Amino acid sequence: MGDGRASADGARWMAVGRSADPDARVAGEQAARLALTGPDAKLLIVFGSHTYDPVALAEGIAAAAPGVPVIGCSTRGEIAPDGPAESTVVVTAIGGTGFVVATADEDGLTGRQREAGAAVARCAQEVPDLPHKVLVLLTDGYTRSQENILRGAYSIVGAAVPLFGGAAAADAPEHCYQINGARVLRNGVVAAMIGSAAPIGIGISHGWRTLGEAMVVTRSDQARVYTLDREPALDKFLRQLDAPAEVYQDPAEFRRWMLTRPLGVQRRSGVAVKNISHDPDFEGRSIGGGTEIVQGALVWATEGDSASVLDAVEVACQDAIDGLGEAEPIGLLTLSCMGCKAVLGTEGVGEETERIAKRADGIPFAGFHTLGEIARTRGVEGFHNQTLVVLALS
Amino acid sequence: MEPAPFDLAAQQLVELLELVSSFPNEDAAAQGAVERAAQVLEAEIAAVVLDGHVVHSVGFAAGAIPYDQLVDIAHRRRDILDVPRLGKCMTAVAELNGEARGHLVLARLGDDGFSAAEWNLLRGMARILDLSLQMLRTMDSLRQRQRLMEHLYGIQRSISRRMPLQEVLETVVYGVKELLGDEIVGLWLRDPDQPDTLLLVSNVGLDEEMSQQLWRVPVHQAGAAGLAISTDDLATVDGYAGAGAGVRTLTGGCLERTLAAPVRENAKVTGSLFTAACSPGSGYTEIDREILLAFAENVSLALTDAKTLSDMNEAFHDSLTGLASRALFLDRLTDGLVAAEREDHPMALLFLDLDRFKQVNDELGHAAGDALLMGVAQRIQAGLRVEDLAARFGGDEFAVMLAAVSEHQAVSIAQRIIAAVQRPYAIAGQEVSVGASIGVALCGPGEQGAEALMAQADSAMYFAKRNGRGRCEVFEPGMALAHPARPAQADLRRALDEIVHRS
Repeated sequence: MGDGRASADGARWMAVGRSADPDARVAGEQAARLALTGPDAKLLIVFGSHTYDPVALAEGIAAAAPGVPVIGCSTRGEIAPDGPAESTVVVTAIGGTGFVVATADEDGLTGRQREAGAAVARCAQEVPDLPHKVLVLLTDGYTRSQENILRGAYSIVGAAVPLFGGAAAADAPEHCYQINGARVLRNGVVAAMIGSAAPIGIGISHGWRTLGEAMVVTRSDQARVYTLDREPALDKFLRQLDAPAEVYQDPAEFRRWMLTRPLGVQRRSGVAVKNISHDPDFEGRSIGGGTEIVQGALVWATEGDSASVLDAVEVACQDAIDGLGEAEPIGLLTLSCMGCKAVLGTEGVGEETERIAKRADGIPFAGFHTLGEIARTRGVEGFHNQTLVVLALS
Repeated sequence: MEPAPFDLAAQQLVELLELVSSFPNEDAAAQGAVERAAQVLEAEIAAVVLDGHVVHSVGFAAGAIPYDQLVDIAHRRRDILDVPRLGKCMTAVAELNGEARGHLVLARLGDDGFSAAEWNLLRGMARILDLSLQMLRTMDSLRQRQRLMEHLYGIQRSISRRMPLQEVLETVVYGVKELLGDEIVGLWLRDPDQPDTLLLVSNVGLDEEMSQQLWRVPVHQAGAAGLAISTDDLATVDGYAGAGAGVRTLTGGCLERTLAAPVRENAKVTGSLFTAACSPGSGYTEIDREILLAFAENVSLALTDAKTLSDMNEAFHDSLTGLASRALFLDRLTDGLVAAEREDHPMALLFLDLDRFKQVNDELGHAAGDALLMGVAQRIQAGLRVEDLAARFGGDEFAVMLAAVSEHQAVSIAQRIIAAVQRPYAIAGQEVSVGASIGVALCGPGEQGAEALMAQADSAMYFAKRNGRGRCEVFEPGMALAHPARPAQADLRRALDEIVHRS
């Protein structure tokens, strides 16, 4: 691996490198060297397995690319043109005179998400006024109220700059990390403002369909829904899905069943989905997820399968490429969801990469399975669950 | 494309009320409302402008708020907001009528302006913001706030579930009575045929027999309600000022004071919600006014929603025959194909073209042609099951979607339709006959999309015409190859009709 693609005028390029070496320092250095295919590297974006020591990983990367800005985060399944894999590191390099980049980080996210989002977004002010910009955010996936990180960032960059990124994954909160240069953060957010003379495209798609009648969230607090239509939320939601008896009591069965049936929240432009598989309260009969569900919201039961998720993958890739207009893409960042990964299974995850490759049509791409996806292009909202978000550079 | 089975607007207002009333102070509530308004209307920009100053905003880069433009938009001196790097945004503005008079401004990127329903929603949001700020100032009791929330939830649920309009309006009237505690609450709406007259559409506290006799009054004799309508503003009246004998009789001569708020349908004042006290008291407080306005906004939402539903129904049905329009049919067909795949049952599409229709139209005139099409539509519809759908695609082309059928069943239904359509019609005093040729396309799980299925049915229908008319043909792969592209087909069929007719 290590193939890259440059724009026709040679002013911008992107390349992806991967290493599966078990030594974090070696893996970081190898992957970075493979990604550094062009001159004047401006930014390395690192998706590194949660199994790596992030400090050694960052050192390896710095050894290969001294002085080049780096942002990255932990993953539990990396996506690259040679297929999906775990326990690897995938490094994306962008460079050339046509890109300008600034990076920032904030730790101690919990309780100050909005403030931290605003703080990292201030790096935007270091990037000159190029025609196209995107703020890439990589957040700690175990921190609640991720929406507030985005709200904070939005308050600084405004509507003219799209937001893109994902929430870092790991096997446990203590293994989740974020990297900014040589700095390693836990419970943090890292950001890179990318300015470009050429268009930037973003695609967002999910593969879930609504089922039955809408329900009203009659009592909720932050990410926990206590009642739907004034009935205990857990029971009402499962009844709507016609769930088998064991799902009502067994956490493992519940998780398995709900992974393919996220909660749909009605928005003006359609239904946004929220993963509620991992936080049921069987005693209090409530449901919960990682993101805020407002009391009074209109919600749906939804369902999907690997076929509908895979179709959505292609839609997101194509929408991102179409967003470039006439410009030729030089690379994609493709962030899928841990929830989708569970739906797809091993075979499906392989097909997911094949579908991305089909749409990428030879250009490099890199991504990982996140604990939440970030893509704000219209309106003020931008935090997603069980959705594929794709960034296309040209 | 079908009307949504719920109304988002009511839901969003209650969501907003919940949100802003959860803030500890007015400043945080106003900022929260600005963000939520942008969120629900998917606008990039929202701002509150008070006394010529932008006090809260979202969507601008730090340090780059275009104050002058926003103030101009709030005062309707311009309606397009030009945000550097983002582009031109369409705007919508609602007045805030609380103690600090100001405006809630929204801006959305692109050429599509805000719809009437969205303006209504924005006004509702401004009202909720007023009410919430007022609650934070004056309604100390949590219990009081909860009661208001309960009622607004009730109304929202009934609107969002598309309960009959009358039930929604009764929920409103009962809610006002419980919260404000007056003896009489009612809703007057303009008579659509005589806009100077009001009809009492819902009430609580009036003598039932009397309200069935005196349910029509002229606007100018309706007291506070009439005043609210004519001024498009809240109106308070002591006793029977501005009220005619009808209102006095209706209320048994007991009124001490009345507070009325205008209600709108698609931004046009169309009636008034009133609350009236029969015992002496200290009058209405600011919070009473805000509550009545909030309920009146809910009535406006329900009325606009009902109108929207009926407009949408018209938009998605053929005005002549009442069958589904092409747009609705295609939408349902796409859904039907998804369901067919999910539930693993085949479905069929019939494409029907009338034989000799042009002859009837030419000889007897368009009115007879229209009457014939209506008759044909009725007969097609009569042969279908509840789960099937018939559409007119314009001219003399019809389509039918059959859910969960085998090829044999589909052909059998097609033949029944042909037989029914062929029976003579009595039109303009004459007996008129037409025939029908039907193409049948079948879709098994995972086979093809709506457009492909339509093309197949069309090709099969072409063969039915070619093979002697008055018959049906089931699509086979060779038909598509032997058959020219779709845009020319209608013309070809017409030509074929002409040739057969002349021969």
